[in-house]
Amino acid sequence: MSARAGSPGRGDLAERVLGGPVLWLGLLGLFVFAMAPFAWVLLASFKTRTELYATPLVYLPASINAANYVDAWTSRLTPFSRFFANSLWVSSVTMVATTAISILAGYALARFRFAGRQTFLLVFLATQMFPAVLLIAPLLSQWHALGLIDTYQALIYSNFSFTVPFTVWMLVGYFESIPRELEESAMMDGCGRFGALCRVVLPLAAPGVAATAIFAFVSSWSELLFAITFTSQTEMRTLSAGLLFMVGQYEIQWGQLSAGVIISTVPVAILFTFLQRHLIRGLTAGALKG
Amino acid sequence: MAREATLAAPVARPLLSRRARELLTGYAYLLPVAVALGGTVVVPIVKAMQMSLYNHVLIKPQEYRFIGLANYVRLLRDEVFWLSLWNSFVWVFGSVSLQFAGGFAAALLLHQGFRGRAVFRTLTLLPWIIPGVVVALIWEFLYQPNYGALNDVLARLGLMTEKVAWLSNPQLAMPAVIATNVWRGVPFFAIMLLAGLQAIPEELYEAARVDGAGVLDRFRHLTLPMLRPIIVVATATRIIWTFNYADLIFVMTSGGPANATQITSTYTLMQAYSNLDFGYAATLSVVLLLIMLAFTVLYLKLTRGVEPVA
Amino acid sequence: MNDRLRCSRRQVLKSMLAAGALTAAEYAWWDEPLVSPRRAWGATPVRFQFSVPEPKRNALVESLVQRFNQSQKDFEARVEFVPQAQARQKLITSITAGSPPDVAQVWDNWVGEFEGMSALEDLTPRVKDWSGYKDVIPLAWETVTVKGKILSFPWVVTNDGVYWRTDRTREYGVKAPRDDWTFDEFLAYTKAMTKPDRNQYGFGMRGQGTWAVLYATEFMYANGAQVLKDGKVAINSPQAAEALDWYLDLFRKHKVCPPSVPTDGWRGIVEGFGRGVTNAYIHNSGSAEEQKDFVKPENFATVPLPIGPAKKRVSFYFSETLTAFKGGKNREGAWKFMSWAMEPEPHYMYSKGLGLLPARKTVAERPEFTKDPALAGFVKSFPFSIVSPYLAYAGWGGKLDSEGVPLFQQALVGKLTSREFLDKFAEVLTKNMS
Repeated sequence: MSARAGSPGRGDLAERVLGGPVLWLGLLGLFVFAMAPFAWVLLASFKTRTELYATPLVYLPASINAANYVDAWTSRLTPFSRFFANSLWVSSVTMVATTAISILAGYALARFRFAGRQTFLLVFLATQMFPAVLLIAPLLSQWHALGLIDTYQALIYSNFSFTVPFTVWMLVGYFESIPRELEESAMMDGCGRFGALCRVVLPLAAPGVAATAIFAFVSSWSELLFAITFTSQTEMRTLSAGLLFMVGQYEIQWGQLSAGVIISTVPVAILFTFLQRHLIRGLTAGALKG
Repeated sequence: MAREATLAAPVARPLLSRRARELLTGYAYLLPVAVALGGTVVVPIVKAMQMSLYNHVLIKPQEYRFIGLANYVRLLRDEVFWLSLWNSFVWVFGSVSLQFAGGFAAALLLHQGFRGRAVFRTLTLLPWIIPGVVVALIWEFLYQPNYGALNDVLARLGLMTEKVAWLSNPQLAMPAVIATNVWRGVPFFAIMLLAGLQAIPEELYEAARVDGAGVLDRFRHLTLPMLRPIIVVATATRIIWTFNYADLIFVMTSGGPANATQITSTYTLMQAYSNLDFGYAATLSVVLLLIMLAFTVLYLKLTRGVEPVA
Repeated sequence: MNDRLRCSRRQVLKSMLAAGALTAAEYAWWDEPLVSPRRAWGATPVRFQFSVPEPKRNALVESLVQRFNQSQKDFEARVEFVPQAQARQKLITSITAGSPPDVAQVWDNWVGEFEGMSALEDLTPRVKDWSGYKDVIPLAWETVTVKGKILSFPWVVTNDGVYWRTDRTREYGVKAPRDDWTFDEFLAYTKAMTKPDRNQYGFGMRGQGTWAVLYATEFMYANGAQVLKDGKVAINSPQAAEALDWYLDLFRKHKVCPPSVPTDGWRGIVEGFGRGVTNAYIHNSGSAEEQKDFVKPENFATVPLPIGPAKKRVSFYFSETLTAFKGGKNREGAWKFMSWAMEPEPHYMYSKGLGLLPARKTVAERPEFTKDPALAGFVKSFPFSIVSPYLAYAGWGGKLDSEGVPLFQQALVGKLTSREFLDKFAEVLTKNMS
């Protein structure tokens, strides 16, 4: 591919135009489209109150002022430090548990032939179509009956409802793309099924597994509806829920809120940067059949 | 897939004990997932179906009783439900088609080789991975009539004289939330299609080039057909997901003003969350689910681009 | 042991000091308590849900709770802040779940709904024995009485009035609102105060939340309409439709309101005025202290609502209540906390801190309430204040919010005519007369 843009001398006129000006203009447009809203919020997070509500609008803050971050992080009412820790914990545990569950299930569905396999696969497909709003009422009464309201468990378990079906789905496709013979030979060498899975399959499927893990983390990190329904105490809120509660307050503190937005974005952005290659590959593995 | 697997499998040995062991292992591997999804999906679904047959309003506990299909009858007569269904259509169609167009363009751009591509790609894909609340709040801020950036930019460009309250105007609220959703969803299509593009063997392009096919020919006769499966999967997933997605509208407008942005999933959410009418909310969501299942079957039948599973 | 003793002696000294400081500099004490929180040994917790988190109220409530915890040994109140928008749902969900807070601060129009869920205890006998019973104005008790039972404490009370910018009115040379102004004068004033080029609007109409409908209803009453007449819903009368048309035209036709009206709730109208986007708005006295910070005390004042064509006017009187729940784990502590909060000093401090009016006569008669120009409009509205007609039936409180407001918004944006809205609204009310 790179050859195309790399050697503009080759090819027809359309190709040269597409590879040159159109490419750069398009990239610029894409960049502005994706980044401008972030830039606006990032700038707002450094503004003072006066700058935020000035007429006409002030775009650049006079100085880099971290007060909004400090306020948001330490606020008694909306303590982002606590929300951050909650989100980190809930998302991490969901990620680890989802990955473990999905590896086993994905492997079983990819390798074993047994009655009900198709049903299982269909359940995974159907579950992804399920509106999250439907689960709220029944899950609420369920968690209440189990005494899990205002606990991390309630959030983590509920998150399985949307992370697991998708990750299993992804991993089935991924495992199937790994030649069976590799395991067979490992098993001949005396490895058990589980040994073969851990030593042969997993290293090969690492990108897919990483993608699975990131997916689980990112989607739990973003989860809102469960977080506002199954928790009520301030200390138990996740970042998403915390941000929403911040809006429900007396006035929208756009400065603090912007800081909160940036705080909630940074971890997933970093994660994404490091692992985007795997994520992209893994995400599409199922669809492309390896 | 099943075919492949059978082909790849070594000739079955007549050792029953081994097969039985395999089978057991298989079920054992599936046990955790069965527990996890049984408890968080299957049981709640059954419970929701049961709830939909009851008059179950939290503020009226004394009126809790079995009412058969009365909730479904109510739904058929509920104007807001039909409006929400139409709104859902507008929301899904508007969002997905624009996301697809934008995502395709972005994927083609990002597929090209240029310096700093990795960084650039990460940055432009960011809107997709950040939480929905964050997206909603960023755009609520941009749309804010008095100190939001959008009005100001439009005014400075001379495109607007009077301040516009984007989310308060019933004509503009839906386009405004769709625009937000497009911003969020373009990267999804970009990612999927980009992966599709990268999976097309370079040799095919070389061969086409040798045959004298221009860049547009190559796009039409090579790129598009090769991408077809992934387009089908991505679009179907996205339609379903968008149809069910409530966060964005819930945070930005709660379905207002005057139900202008009330889609079926937010309406369901409002019934459960604000009106605390769990019975009716369950009814709505069961219907929502049926619509989605019907859609999926239809879509896959019509396109027949991918195998039903995986 | 010795240490602890010495410590507690110091605490006592500090408390005395605090009490002295309280009388000397009353307000500052509430901003920053002088006494550090004391570990209450063996005290049972009292969960208190407070539903209006904004900085000023938070500080007040926190010190209030701290003060309560220091005033006695048996109970330790713990405050849980919940945004107003989520407060009602959260209470209902927790009641159903069997884990409501022990006490919550809620509005009187929710009390009937909780009563309907059998979540509240009949406080009548206990309240009648309570020392302050006679000192609380009867109208305030009325707001928390459902089916003859007193269910809550009316913590603070207030009615609606009009906030307006004195400085800008002078600057633009506009005739200032009078106490006995009329609809026409109201319209003229809001028109004159609308300056689109400066991003200023004459009137910050409320488009969201229960009070969006309540404010509109007040205008209907000024034209002779009534919600209930001879036991029947009569809100869809021609007078009501006429007045509503007039009211909605402020936004629809005269454009004296900001374009964001349909999504402006309590936060929106108060913020709009506070940031100088609107030059007048209708609200209760509860945002008076806020506006003193935002626009400065010398730059705004309040007047009663205008008199309508029927030569009438009303202002709806309502209370912010302290309500205890049957399902609470600590009902004795809840009672202690509520009755303590109604004691003159805490009561005075909370009301004064927010600009709300005390429910106790002896406190309300203090000059801080009767003489403050920011409160004048509300005090002057007392003669024609009535308990909100929507309190007539317990089922109405919630429906007003869940069905009345969305209908109102449709009328606001022109999807329904005033008449259509009122007919549909009357239907909702008629269906829920229980």
